[in-house]
Amino acid sequence: MLWYKAWLETRWRFVFMLGSVLLVWLAPQWLPSLGFRLPPGVPASRLWMAIHLGSVLLYIVAANFLAGSGVNSQTTYAATSGFHGSMLFTLSLPVSRRRLLLVRAGLGALQTGVLVAIMAVYTLFHLPGGASTFQALEYIARAIICTIAVYALSVLLACVLDEMWQFYAACSCWIAFYLLQSRFAFVSWISPLRGMSLFSYPVTAPMPWAPVAASLALAGVFLCASVLVLQRKEY
Amino acid sequence: MNDIIIAAEGLSKSYDGKPALRSLRLEVPRGSICGFLGRNGAGKTTTLKLLLGMLRRDAGSIRLFGQPVDSEASSIAARRRLGFVSEDKELYPFMTVDQTIRFTRPFFPGWRRDLEEKYLELFQLPRKKAVPKLSKGMRTQLMLLLAMARGAELLLMDEPTGGLDPAMTEDVLQILADLAASDGTTIFFSSHQLAEVEQICDRVCIIDQGQVVVDGVLDDLKSDYRRILLVFDGTPPPGLAGLPGIDHLRQRGRTASLLAHGDVEGLVDRARELGPSSVEVRPVTLKELFLDHVRGE
Repeated sequence: MLWYKAWLETRWRFVFMLGSVLLVWLAPQWLPSLGFRLPPGVPASRLWMAIHLGSVLLYIVAANFLAGSGVNSQTTYAATSGFHGSMLFTLSLPVSRRRLLLVRAGLGALQTGVLVAIMAVYTLFHLPGGASTFQALEYIARAIICTIAVYALSVLLACVLDEMWQFYAACSCWIAFYLLQSRFAFVSWISPLRGMSLFSYPVTAPMPWAPVAASLALAGVFLCASVLVLQRKEY
Repeated sequence: MNDIIIAAEGLSKSYDGKPALRSLRLEVPRGSICGFLGRNGAGKTTTLKLLLGMLRRDAGSIRLFGQPVDSEASSIAARRRLGFVSEDKELYPFMTVDQTIRFTRPFFPGWRRDLEEKYLELFQLPRKKAVPKLSKGMRTQLMLLLAMARGAELLLMDEPTGGLDPAMTEDVLQILADLAASDGTTIFFSSHQLAEVEQICDRVCIIDQGQVVVDGVLDDLKSDYRRILLVFDGTPPPGLAGLPGIDHLRQRGRTASLLAHGDVEGLVDRARELGPSSVEVRPVTLKELFLDHVRGE
């Protein structure tokens, strides 16, 4: 039944993020109605690029918003400071902390993956020049894998921080990572942030294995660290 | 079948080097209702959290249901057989009453639907109501329902009647007494309400500064301990403090008040030798026992 708790805990967050995705999907329709029009001479692909960048940011926000450790209860929408008292009820259940974490993290990862896939499909659907089915699947897979690395860091942070600080800390980590990747070629080469984007690795180029492999490794490390932290943590 | 449900030996726990429990020893027999008393910060909640595996002990051992609790697996096995009511009575803010029950039920194979229905009706808990919309009293009732309907052999409760009105407090105390009497459920609860403890407990454990200072059957304690009031013509003699068998001594003016247990008659005989103008021996209440031990009066 832990999945049931995880679903009730995250369902409105998931719906909220789904709504945000739809808002981005429909941007070409509602932006002009608000008076936003591309200046004369600017190609329509610019709008697509802006939407694509927005969708990558959305991947990161979704990953942070849907992550949780399974121990500290989360509110429906807002990231709150402090730990909720229901944590003691959760910890008194006959369940291992590892299972608490894995079920909650598993469901959050699934939701994040679904959101990323929806956004990626949209991005590809409007890709100037189009993409083959294989290329599309390749991009969706790497976008999900790279986002899961972002997600796994948030899970780790959720094990040590309350929700408010988890969100800020996760955002700070990825801003720092972004700055690092712009300075160091190696960081850029393996960066999950670049792996999520179509700009860094054009859809026609071969699969960028370095960020995919790095993301998988980071996700694994973060998740293992989360389990270890949770098992040692005192409440 | 082991007759000691909770057994802790040499239990110690510190927070940032500050000791919260100091070599605590605790034994709670099967079927008893044991009141766990102490001032704020005495170590009651720390003890309960250690029993539940939420904290790691610095030293000592814990046995629940006769089995050592020294790993997560053994803690989980023990938690399957017990119910817990936390001090703040917080439950999931994203669930309704019904969802909370449906979530909790599958973790406990011995869940009793009859008790679930009985307590839902008794507490008049609306199934569809969201947990955040429940009053504190109703949240307490829901938590009690979740603890009692699981068919637990042991109930660990931190201030179980907190937030309840006097009538509901009375009902809950009655339910707890009935559970212990009919199902043999062992109940270990911390409380500041000495009257509640006196009403339903057959055992009492008083903790102060992380150590057990009184532990035993309530009736035995009441018959063992005596208050000896001595009135002198002048200042009480200094030799009074040296009398053997005194638990606590309090002096005010010409009067000395002794709390003693064991050979009270022998102590009274020795006190008479100090020449008091009057000697009075009377039984003690739980409140006196508690205050004398935790305040050292």
